[in-house]
Amino acid sequence: MQCTESELAQVIGNVLGVAPSTVNQATSIDTVASWDSLKHLNLVIALEEHFRITLSEDETIEILNYPLIKMTLEKHGTTFTE
Amino acid sequence: MQRGNTFTQTIRQLPQTPSYDAYHAAANIIDGMTAEESGLPPLRLAMLRNFTIEPLLPIVKAEIARMGFFPHLFVGGHDTIASDVMDSASALYRFNPDVIIVAQWLEAIAPMFATRFISFSAQALDAEVQRIVEAHVAVVRAVRQRSHAPILLNNFPLPEYPALGIFDAQQEHLQTHTMLRLHQELLRQVQKFPDVYIVDYAHLMARMGTQQGYNERYWHIGKMPFSHHALAPFGMEYVRFLRALMGKVRKCLILDCDNTLWGGVVGEEGIAGIALGPTYPGSCYVSFQREIMNLHDRGVVLALCSKNNERDVLEVFERHPNTVLRKECFAARQINWDDKATNIRRIVEQLGIGMESVVFADDSAFEIGLVQSQIPDITVLHLPSEASQLRAAICARGYFDALAFSDEDRSRNRMYRDEAHRKQLATSAGSMEEYLSKLEIRIRIGRTDAFHIPRVAQLTQKTNQFNLTTKRYTEGDITRWTSDMQCDVLYAQLQDTIADMGTVGVAMVRYTASTADIDSFLLSCRALGRGVEDALLAHVVLRARANGCTTVRGQYIPTSKNGQVADFYARHGFVCQGHGSPGVWELEVARATCATPNWITVDVVDQPERDYAVH
Repeated sequence: MQCTESELAQVIGNVLGVAPSTVNQATSIDTVASWDSLKHLNLVIALEEHFRITLSEDETIEILNYPLIKMTLEKHGTTFTE
Repeated sequence: MQRGNTFTQTIRQLPQTPSYDAYHAAANIIDGMTAEESGLPPLRLAMLRNFTIEPLLPIVKAEIARMGFFPHLFVGGHDTIASDVMDSASALYRFNPDVIIVAQWLEAIAPMFATRFISFSAQALDAEVQRIVEAHVAVVRAVRQRSHAPILLNNFPLPEYPALGIFDAQQEHLQTHTMLRLHQELLRQVQKFPDVYIVDYAHLMARMGTQQGYNERYWHIGKMPFSHHALAPFGMEYVRFLRALMGKVRKCLILDCDNTLWGGVVGEEGIAGIALGPTYPGSCYVSFQREIMNLHDRGVVLALCSKNNERDVLEVFERHPNTVLRKECFAARQINWDDKATNIRRIVEQLGIGMESVVFADDSAFEIGLVQSQIPDITVLHLPSEASQLRAAICARGYFDALAFSDEDRSRNRMYRDEAHRKQLATSAGSMEEYLSKLEIRIRIGRTDAFHIPRVAQLTQKTNQFNLTTKRYTEGDITRWTSDMQCDVLYAQLQDTIADMGTVGVAMVRYTASTADIDSFLLSCRALGRGVEDALLAHVVLRARANGCTTVRGQYIPTSKNGQVADFYARHGFVCQGHGSPGVWELEVARATCATPNWITVDVVDQPERDYAVH
């Protein structure tokens, strides 16, 4: 699946309740106050739905920052055109 | 105001089936504002649960807003249901909910029963079923002692792989049948309490399939059982209950004809050329017509809106050997070449119903777009072009869901048809009074008893136009009113030479020492124009006098629908008290001139007092 990084930022921003324009490489569970375990579950759900993928258990737990999310999506066949 | 606009825009722009992150975006906007800023009335929803229900919240919030309410949510702690409901001072009761959801997942409430079924002896199994049911009953009982809010419980999805595999379905005492017995027993026990409803998790999960709807990874990592496929269906199911409970029910379906009720264009292909019969593609349309007939029998008012020559369309309903629907199934029709928005407005006026209670179904994207843009309050259903998908399209959305089914529902279409007949009679009679006398109208007025409670509650939920205060009451509320000796809940039944229309009017009155306070006064719109309201009000005044009251007090709370009753109290000699809104009106009983019109005969049925506490 092809996708832009702004599309990814939109999904992350919507779920975490922050402006998508503020989502960047530094976005992580340590820098976003609203990113708790519940929001994390919501984020996993939104990513699996949007990118039509199924994460492994390890990935589900470990994608705690933007670079890891992007890398994991790429591993599941998403190519970012931007 | 600015934020109110953002809110309205966000909700209007929400797609029919939004993505999960779009639901979050809408919920974020809702979270960032107040009910006042949104301009919508609040709906206070409490969710008690023993699993992680939070992923449903954005969906529920956004859909409540789409339904026309501002959502206030209270979510109880994990596994704190017992303390939430048993403590009168708990945050739950301080929240003062309109509706309480109690969501329990079987693995959390009975892990051994759910996952080690085979370890139970027959006797232990019976005890376990009783324990699970009693746990629910205890919650319901505790809530009912402290709150009148309707309660939504759930039953449980059937196991994906029953304990004994293919042998499981062979014996009644094994897992599948024990689960069904559990569901029955749960229903039987909680039905004893007013306003408790079962959300059918078993059916919901079966519809999408357990393998599709249950996510074991989410369950183990986050104690959240639903897959992302299941979130919207489960969230929407709760919203369907809320819609019914808050009186936002739809009651009329307006249908296109060509490529909707049959395949092809009757004006071109003729009655013999259209597809409607036992084999494909005609069988798809027969099946769709049967589903429409089911709606008709449930009390949904049907109407036709078609660009055709009327003669061609009527010929299908009168002569086609395979038509399920007949001309008389439709309470109104506009079959001509005018635009559909205009025709729909004509139908709605003829039937005397509100646009927000109407669903319009058509296969043409153009017509759907036109109607939606011209009439924002209507609900549109764009029917699929695949004939075999028509039936499911009308069932899937649950547009006409209600939490009661009464005899009036069964015969509603006949009543609307009779009304059209009366309008015809009226044009042939001389004066209005002469016409009304010919109808030999009889009204039966009585105090509401257990038998009438469902219909009376339903009328308070559904009546928008002739409704002075538009207060919505559940069956439980009405039951409490009827058992209060300081109150009268009066129903009015209407009969004339053409038909028996059943219960059409309600007056709810509370007596204090010298005043009779009219809490609610309403009349079904199909009973308008006969003076029934005058007779009912005259009777209220009569009872006030009999109860020793010197004043009758009424209120008019304006809504967008009830403009026609703005001067109701003024016309009957009530005097407005102050200039506030909502307006309060008072009538001195000694000077009252309210009278039953001379063309109406009133029968008063005073029911003996009964104990309504338990039903």
